Amino acid sequence: MALGGGLALLRAAAGALRGPGRPLWGQGVPGVPPSRPCSAEAPPKPSEPPSPYKEKPWEYLESAEYQEAYGDKPVWFGYRRHHKGAVPPRHTRKACLRKGKRVGNPCPICRDRHLFVDFRNVKLLDQFICPHSGSIFHPTHTGVCMKQHKLLLKAIAQAQDHGLLWLRIPFVPVPQDDFAARPPAVGKTPPAPQLTAGRAWYPWYDWQQPPPDAVARLRRLYKDYLRQEEGGPAPGGAPEAQ
Amino acid sequence: MAALGAWGTAVQRGRLWGAARALWGWRRPQRALGQDAGKKKDAKPSFTDEAVQNLLYKMTGLDLQKVFRPVKQELKPPKYKLLTEAQLEEATKKAIKEAKEKLTMPPVLDEREPIDDVLAEDKILDGIETTKYIFTDLTYSIPHRERFIVVREPNGVLRKATWEERDRMIQIFFPKEGRRVIPQAVFKDEHLVTVFQQDRHEDILNMCIAQFEPDSADYIRIHHRTYDDIEKHAKYDLLRSTRHFGGMVWYLVNRKKTDGLLIDMIHRDLLDDATSLITLYHMLHPECQSAKEAEERKLQGVDLIKVFAKTESQKEGYIQLALQAYEEAMATSTGS
Repeated sequence: MALGGGLALLRAAAGALRGPGRPLWGQGVPGVPPSRPCSAEAPPKPSEPPSPYKEKPWEYLESAEYQEAYGDKPVWFGYRRHHKGAVPPRHTRKACLRKGKRVGNPCPICRDRHLFVDFRNVKLLDQFICPHSGSIFHPTHTGVCMKQHKLLLKAIAQAQDHGLLWLRIPFVPVPQDDFAARPPAVGKTPPAPQLTAGRAWYPWYDWQQPPPDAVARLRRLYKDYLRQEEGGPAPGGAPEAQ
Repeated sequence: MAALGAWGTAVQRGRLWGAARALWGWRRPQRALGQDAGKKKDAKPSFTDEAVQNLLYKMTGLDLQKVFRPVKQELKPPKYKLLTEAQLEEATKKAIKEAKEKLTMPPVLDEREPIDDVLAEDKILDGIETTKYIFTDLTYSIPHRERFIVVREPNGVLRKATWEERDRMIQIFFPKEGRRVIPQAVFKDEHLVTVFQQDRHEDILNMCIAQFEPDSADYIRIHHRTYDDIEKHAKYDLLRSTRHFGGMVWYLVNRKKTDGLLIDMIHRDLLDDATSLITLYHMLHPECQSAKEAEERKLQGVDLIKVFAKTESQKEGYIQLALQAYEEAMATSTGS
């Protein structure tokens, strides 16, 4: 009886498999992960779309949402670091994004996904430079994480290099050298006679006739091994062309 | 220097200017001009001639407020000094002496000829190495221009290093302040435009002097671009009282583009500078009609400018207008 009931259930299940081969409980909307109401894990968060200001970060600083969020103040104004005790540590945190996860209370640059540290958005870089002395603020003053501070230093140096940011130029006095003189190190030297004549640099680069007594000595040494040729080229003669 | 800081009014600036010009201690240009023009009538005057240098230094002016202006740097508490009149005069003289040193003009030279001498050809080394080797003589006591720097190419050729390679190697082994081994990206033409829009012509010229040798192609190119931009937008006042003004005037007078500068000088009531400019023009182009007329009729001051405007300039109308405005201003000030 139970066996017959079990067989009937199996047949019903097999009948349901008439689709593309997936069981009934496996069907769902493709792309969306199946809902797991009884699971203990947190549901996966939908990933944010990329920021529209990624290509041109300077446009964000002109936009209405920036004006609404920050007004005329710099982006780091009002940011408070979270730390134990009254005295803050001498360095800010290493990074705000650790293993893909954001920390609580991210730094002023990491908390706004539209802010990009680029050497071309000069307005953002200017907010991290003191307007009176021209020096870059320490991260403890602005609250940025050390990773963003390093990126800022690189971007500011690059912007100064391209002439977009002001740079203090030390006074270099005018050189007093005699520029009319042309000592041999920088003037014209006549080329060596071998180069002008078109000969090889060392005479032994070309084949030279060996001295006859050396040839005679070698002939005497190896007379048992010399090839017997009448009127042919002497052994130890011109080497083959390389 | 709070006492010196009070020297802001135009009257006192004028007094300083007069004192500065008197203290230059150069000979009067007219006398020198007559002597030199008589001796070297056929030779073209060069930048280093004394007469030319006198005129250029006179035109540069000496505005102590601009030469010693405060620069953005780490702030320190200000220092105050109480001085008597005599001490103040002495301090002013010392400041003028220092300013004269700061205003020494950098040399204007022709572009250096490239170095391409082959010293040896060792075919036996051909193909052994994959990179070039640069050998630099590091003896400390020889001047850099006499230093031998040679390059061994991978094909065995031993040649003298080019000027760019020389400058790079000398900067690596004997670093100079303000100079980098690889020049900044600012010196490329597309980035120079950005700097010019920020009116930082003096800064870029100072950076150029620090980075390049005065006879290198880059130095000459950057200077010419800067002068062209200043002339295009009539920003002559940016370089006044700096060491670059003389070079700019020399460039413009050689290319006969002096109209804008002349109008600017008349607008600012610098008639002496305007006459010096025209005198320099006549020295460099003695065959022009204005020069001949000036020598015949021995013209001075406003007449010289009027003759120059009529014969040589393209913007005659503007110069006449400016002269009219100046004369009216003089009339009202003398009348009232």
